[in-house]
Amino acid sequence: MHLHHKIGLFCLLFASQLSAQQELMLQTLPDLWHATSINPAFFPENKRFVIGLPAYSLDASHSGDITYNDLLRKEGDQNVIDFGQVIDKLDPENTLYFDQRIETVSLGLRLPGNWSIQAGHANRLTGLAVYPKSLAEVLWNGNGPYIGEKVDFGFQARVFDWNEWSVGLAKHFNKVSVSARLKYLTGVTSLITDNDHHKATIYTDPDIYQLQIETDYGFHSSSLISAIDTSDLGFKVDIADLKGKAFSKNTGVSVDLGAQVRVNEKLTLSISVLDWGGKIKWKENANYFRSNGSFTYEGVTFPGADIINGSDSLDFDQKLDTLNDIFQFQKSAQEFTTKLPERIYIGGTFQLTEKWGLGVSAFAQNSDNRRVGGLGASVRWLPVRWLSLGAMYSVNRRSAANLGFHLVVKPGPVQFYFLSDNLANAFSLKSSPAVNLRTGLSLVF
Amino acid sequence: MTRYTTIFRASLCFLLLTGLWSACKKNDFQDIDLADHSAEFAFPLFTTELFLKDLLGQVLNDSLSNDTLVVNPDGTMTLFYTGDVAEKKATDIFTFFQNGFFPLTDSITTTVLQLPIGVTIKRADLNSGTLGFILTNQFGETLNGRFEVPQLTKNGEILTFPFSVPPTTGQAWVSGPIDLTGYTLNGSSNELTFIYYAYLADGTRVKILPNTSSGLSNVFVTFLNLKFSYFEGNFGYAAYPLTRDTIDIDINQTNLDGNVTVKNPKITIRIANSWGFPTRGIVRYLSFIGQNGEEYKLETTAFAQDSIIDFNYPALNEVGQTKYTDVYLDNTNSNIAQIFNSQPTKLVYDMGGISNALQTPDLVGFLTDSSNISLQIKVELDLEGSVQNFGSNQTLDLDFGDYSSLDTTKIQDAEFKLVTENSTAISALLQLYFLDTDSVRIDSLFANGPQLLLRSAPIGADGKADGTTRTEHFIPMTAARFDRIRQAKQAFLQTSFTTGENGQVVKLIANDKAIVKMGLKVRTK
Repeated sequence: MHLHHKIGLFCLLFASQLSAQQELMLQTLPDLWHATSINPAFFPENKRFVIGLPAYSLDASHSGDITYNDLLRKEGDQNVIDFGQVIDKLDPENTLYFDQRIETVSLGLRLPGNWSIQAGHANRLTGLAVYPKSLAEVLWNGNGPYIGEKVDFGFQARVFDWNEWSVGLAKHFNKVSVSARLKYLTGVTSLITDNDHHKATIYTDPDIYQLQIETDYGFHSSSLISAIDTSDLGFKVDIADLKGKAFSKNTGVSVDLGAQVRVNEKLTLSISVLDWGGKIKWKENANYFRSNGSFTYEGVTFPGADIINGSDSLDFDQKLDTLNDIFQFQKSAQEFTTKLPERIYIGGTFQLTEKWGLGVSAFAQNSDNRRVGGLGASVRWLPVRWLSLGAMYSVNRRSAANLGFHLVVKPGPVQFYFLSDNLANAFSLKSSPAVNLRTGLSLVF
Repeated sequence: MTRYTTIFRASLCFLLLTGLWSACKKNDFQDIDLADHSAEFAFPLFTTELFLKDLLGQVLNDSLSNDTLVVNPDGTMTLFYTGDVAEKKATDIFTFFQNGFFPLTDSITTTVLQLPIGVTIKRADLNSGTLGFILTNQFGETLNGRFEVPQLTKNGEILTFPFSVPPTTGQAWVSGPIDLTGYTLNGSSNELTFIYYAYLADGTRVKILPNTSSGLSNVFVTFLNLKFSYFEGNFGYAAYPLTRDTIDIDINQTNLDGNVTVKNPKITIRIANSWGFPTRGIVRYLSFIGQNGEEYKLETTAFAQDSIIDFNYPALNEVGQTKYTDVYLDNTNSNIAQIFNSQPTKLVYDMGGISNALQTPDLVGFLTDSSNISLQIKVELDLEGSVQNFGSNQTLDLDFGDYSSLDTTKIQDAEFKLVTENSTAISALLQLYFLDTDSVRIDSLFANGPQLLLRSAPIGADGKADGTTRTEHFIPMTAARFDRIRQAKQAFLQTSFTTGENGQVVKLIANDKAIVKMGLKVRTK
């Protein structure tokens, strides 16, 4: 878990030309057991029993051209954020996207009668944050340079993680395999800002720099933020214990559907719909936090008459209490529902020769009405039976120049692979503006 | 600033949390911080509203005692100042006999009391004192009898003292002290009659003859420590010295040059009189003394015949009351405006008195042991006028609170912004000194001396403030200086006020106010 957390840190802070968990390359490798995660109809040919060992996939993007090294560095033993390098690169509005999948274990068994079953567990995370450039600016430069300007520091976020407990059944006909996989979802934590209330601004008055803070801001949280206390001159966010829980009261279901058609010996087509109808209803420690109002901090107000006659003093200590509880977040228990990102994959492979093959892959994703997609074409080379190398050219909404690759090693029953839809970023996580990778291990018999 | 950065850092953490929480352990980011860099934070420090009535109240309080600032219905203000009182008790002037030694040459002897000139007693109430008899018995047998003083009565009974005196062989017989408390002396001719009745054993009334060899009386009456609480009688025409005194006027005690000019000062000389008969004051001398000892002689038409003041007085049925006589001085009947605006510090006067100046026959009046005449100065200032560099000093407790513990190692420099919005017709030059716990000056707000903190609002034709004048001062400060100042525990304000821009005549309105506020920019490194 520690590893994936660290890598997750990378993913947050660097950009990518990708913008969703597209996994186009995996779509062209149906012989890999873990490819079943994007199409439940996939089952390695001529294999009867499969043990899926851990696999990890990550896809992250940030608008603009910002890398981890631009933003985060080490000063002594402490991680520090250095906006100095990145502010100029930021857009007026910036989007941070990340999607992470950890497959802990899975099993597959081919049954008599051309049936197969599969079951597994995965932990998944999806996140989207939209923040204004002005937030970074005022954080970094202070409000001094923005006197007389209303600075927007409201940001939107849609982040949640959950466990998937899946069981699937596939029927393999002569040329067609069809499969359905039911997933029982248990939400772990979530933080969803309210689309209707996500405004927060600060204005520094040129007069004597009075601070005017206006908020119309709300968010849902489950098992993440237990309280926000802006009293006592602070801004204390009580974070819930982030240990992942396998089961919780936050439950839901989703369905994966897949089909694979072997048109002839060379051509195979596939289609899948993932997380169809997937929803999680958040009940456990589910709260809605709302800050709505206008607050002006004018400093200490000394009563003139009392100061003049000496019955009061210029005591900043006592008077600073007026700064207390600026945002006044109101917490109310409230259940809420999140939809899982729905994905559709369509692909095909064409076996040119024994050692060379071609592939095409397309995907589309709808996440909270944010639709993205991608299209790629690949070539695969199998120099020896246990080794597969491949490359892919793909386009997506952000870039028309993504070059991916794959490496698959299959010594005996072992399947190990490492692949990425973007070769340039896969090995330079800290200095690249993007990451997309997948790796995993399984045993097939 | 700590609070301010806390808000922003918290916002930063909040953003990061939304993006990172499930991808990162809490421990990975609990120490995350912004990298060292130069940033500039601006935030307000304080605001205060100073109303003119409060400001004037304090400034004048510093200078005056016994003053009252009254806000008139039209918002103008009037300062009433009451100076010290100079008083003269009646007993200092009218001295009545307290002790006496009277020989009785006969069994009925009348003596004349010594009273002030022109005074005829009708009634005098004694509240202390004693009376005694001395007798030499030459008859060889015991004399029995009594003494009587018909003019002394108590509860309607005349004073009677019985005696039984054995034959005198050495010292004369002396009665004990007879307490006269509560007795009333009645009369109409300032005379006192003593009577004794002396009898031999056979009942024969006898006279006690004078000593045959010396010729002195063998009977005496003594009075000791007589004190009257009330005296009633006829007061005839008589002149006497009333009082000569000095009254301090404490306006503008500060060391700064005030140049106070009040358009129409009004001064009332108030005579408070509880003497129960008509008294005429004769002003023999009345002058004001300036700051450097110069004399300003009062010229006025307020006194009858240039020097006469007839004091009001309580009637016989108003015993114990005080009657007031006011002499008003203003610019219509005197040169008081000129005198007052020269900032006098003292009033010196010499006044004589005449009782029953009109020589009313058979005038009956009274005095008590507390009757007095006092003289007091009352100043009434409509606050319309001018001042130039009128000084006021004030020391305030100061506590920068958390700013005192701020880590200044990361501060590059700071800049205070001091703003005033002045709706008064007064300008103010100010310097603020920061004092440590021992009241030692450690720095000043303005490095280049006092600054014009308040610039007068525009002044209308009626002399009133008409609008608001904003003044801004930027006070740059190094980190070291900021570090020193924030440790201050007291602020000593030295202010000098000027009406308008340069001392023109203005009307001061109670609710005119000045807003003083300060912000701070801090640049970090």
